[in-house]
Amino acid sequence: MAFDADEEILQDFLVEAGEILEKLSEQLVDLEQHPDDSDLLNAIFRGFHTVKGGAGFLQLDALVNCCHSAENVFDILRNHKRKVDAELMDVVLEALDNVNAMFEEVRNHEEPTPAPDELIAALDALAQPEGAASVSAEPPASEPASTSAETDGGDITDDEFEQLLDALDGGDQSDQSAPSAPAAEESAGAEDGDDEITDDEFEKLLDELHGEGKFSGAPPADAAPEKPSTEGAGDNAGSAAGDDLITDDEFEKLLDELHGKGGAPTGADSAAGGQSPAKSQPEPKPESASRPEPETAREPAAPKAAAKPPTPPREAAPAGETTVRVDTKRLDDIMNMVGELVLVRNRLQRLGNASEDEQMHKAVANLDVVTTDLQSAVMQTRMQPIKKVFGRFPRVVRDLARSLKKEVSLVMHGEETDLDKNLVEALSDPLVHLVRNSVDHGIESPDVREKAGKPRAGTVTLSAEQEGDHILLTIEDDGAGMDPEKLRQKAVEKGIYDQDAADRLTDNECFNLIFAAGFSTKDQISDVSGRGVGMDVVKTKIGQLNGQINIVSELGKGTRILIKVPLTLAIMPTLMIMLGDQSFALPLVNVVEIFHLDLTKTNIVDGRECIVVRDKVFPLFHIKRWLVRGEAGQEEPENAHVVIVAMGTKQVGFVVDQLIGQEEVVIKPLGRALQGTPGMAGATITGDGRIALIIDVPSLLQNYS
Amino acid sequence: MKILIVDDFSTMRRIIKNLLRDLGFTNTDEADDGNSALPMLKSGKYDFLVTDWNMPGMSGFDLLKAVRADENLKNLPVLMVTAEAKRDQIVAAAQAGVNGYVVKPFTAAVLKEKIEKIFERIQ
Repeated sequence: MAFDADEEILQDFLVEAGEILEKLSEQLVDLEQHPDDSDLLNAIFRGFHTVKGGAGFLQLDALVNCCHSAENVFDILRNHKRKVDAELMDVVLEALDNVNAMFEEVRNHEEPTPAPDELIAALDALAQPEGAASVSAEPPASEPASTSAETDGGDITDDEFEQLLDALDGGDQSDQSAPSAPAAEESAGAEDGDDEITDDEFEKLLDELHGEGKFSGAPPADAAPEKPSTEGAGDNAGSAAGDDLITDDEFEKLLDELHGKGGAPTGADSAAGGQSPAKSQPEPKPESASRPEPETAREPAAPKAAAKPPTPPREAAPAGETTVRVDTKRLDDIMNMVGELVLVRNRLQRLGNASEDEQMHKAVANLDVVTTDLQSAVMQTRMQPIKKVFGRFPRVVRDLARSLKKEVSLVMHGEETDLDKNLVEALSDPLVHLVRNSVDHGIESPDVREKAGKPRAGTVTLSAEQEGDHILLTIEDDGAGMDPEKLRQKAVEKGIYDQDAADRLTDNECFNLIFAAGFSTKDQISDVSGRGVGMDVVKTKIGQLNGQINIVSELGKGTRILIKVPLTLAIMPTLMIMLGDQSFALPLVNVVEIFHLDLTKTNIVDGRECIVVRDKVFPLFHIKRWLVRGEAGQEEPENAHVVIVAMGTKQVGFVVDQLIGQEEVVIKPLGRALQGTPGMAGATITGDGRIALIIDVPSLLQNYS
Repeated sequence: MKILIVDDFSTMRRIIKNLLRDLGFTNTDEADDGNSALPMLKSGKYDFLVTDWNMPGMSGFDLLKAVRADENLKNLPVLMVTAEAKRDQIVAAAQAGVNGYVVKPFTAAVLKEKIEKIFERIQ
């Protein structure tokens, strides 16, 4: 039972094996594109293998069985006994789904449900070489070894084996040590056609190699076992085991065989100069021959290599563990404390600027540098590559394309881009929705595409890059694109705009209409994208992350969705403003420009106060009337500062009393009684020690305008 | 006895470490593949090596060969940890100089037995 296992180890296993599973899903989809990539096949094989190994210790038998069957399939595949095809992929992906489901169960401290028997049976069927009937007698794993055991390729015959043994007895060691390897191998039981070794066999092998009950370093150098014993041992080892497994006894015998049953020549073999060629000779052999394929394929395929920074070759330095697992809660706490420190720094800076003391100035400047470094260092610890989210997409796109009978290839860029862990998690759902949307609504069916002169397979490109203090995510498809006219019409039908207003919308504004609640141009909600979150939810979600979403489309060419999110949620650059004697913080992402305005030069359009800046018209809002008590009916001043803020494509002007300047603030949630106050994202403590409210621009406008 | 545990899967290293600890071997170090293990072995004065077989980077097999080829390490006892007792694999390992093998999953008792057997042979 899983529950008996050491809880800590179980948690470790869940985390680490979970990473492997994530990678597996990516690799499996990759495999469909590159079915012959042996690096990939090896990596997948090892993935299942590793999960199985860990699960074995934790007695998660259901998990072991499923992984074992899947692993066998990939053993066949990587030995080129079978080709990857769509049916095989379906079965393997189903197996992975099952493994993931079991993982969930284990995570919830439930006993994992075994995979359905049909699935295991299907996997086992696939684990037979193609055209299994003719070759099934030969166990798959023995192939690489048996075909390559000898330098000239073929299997060793009994006669040859005898000769080898004779030669081994003869004494000229440098000649025989190469054949001695296959000889021992042969003796160990190749004749049974089984490929697993028993302990007995192994012991025998060791006896052969090192002398009975002895051990002497690299064995082949003294491969001069007494002939009768070797032969006997070989026979025993071979015939005793009716199966592929080696027993302890067999292993002992093998050791005896390998090291010579008689006296074990301990130092002699390595010391004697004449034997160094003998010693070196067997070494390259197994490398080049016995397991050629996994050997060469291993390095580039390494599934872990991508996740870990490459370990620099450490020369004689005691390495030790370089990583520690830390609960994210602890990181959150540290981040929070750094946030407080930033506030104190801001306060000190303000005080320092007021004082004349040069020492003070220096100290504060120092504190500033250190705090900034600390802040970015702590932020680094919370960073995760966006790959965490992107990794899901190949599978999502594959399954969706298959069910919609579309041909879609997914291209991803910048998977290594790092962003805050919370953001990675929060972005996951919206991104999945957008990608599904691209495949469902964006990419046309292959026939339609062909008629339009496009390649049958559509492309969805997903990219991430860091731009200054924010991350830009792009989801682009080369599908049908959107028709702004259609969207205008729809907007009028839905009563969102009247005809006049709709006609005045720019194309870009039209595209962004799809983010409006209840706006869907598909008359029939498709099974795929109509479920769960809509585009309006996506937009709200991105907004909650202080992000922005924008959409660009060209009819017939495709659609591109751009998402900008800050690197972190905890600390936000803002523009501090004053309304009356109360300070407010405007998120800097929203701020476009600031200017001084003669308020008598405003115009009234559609009953709304507007200003014209460089031939563009912006609605003007006196937010003081909304946010400061007793200001609603106040006479407006003749001159004021105006801040132009943007939400998506919409830009408006806010009239403010005073501009204080840019300040990095730590967002503190509002108290429970105030939570959900429209227009307010939270609060913070300013450099002068006062409390400032952080304005949530979209919700402010929604509520008041 | 100072033991080096080599496995690319850190959970597995921890499992083996705990099992060894249960057997009274508390002086253990870990490495995540042959490439990082080898320099440690060369400088660390280890008495025993427990290595996984199937690892990316430098496999257990390559590590074993490198150990046997090193003048100072050629007598270091090596226990290989493997998922199956595949004959070819183990024969090849024995030829390359492995002292013993243990099949996953195993208990502390099995591990103890394997270790004892190895040291029986050496003494």
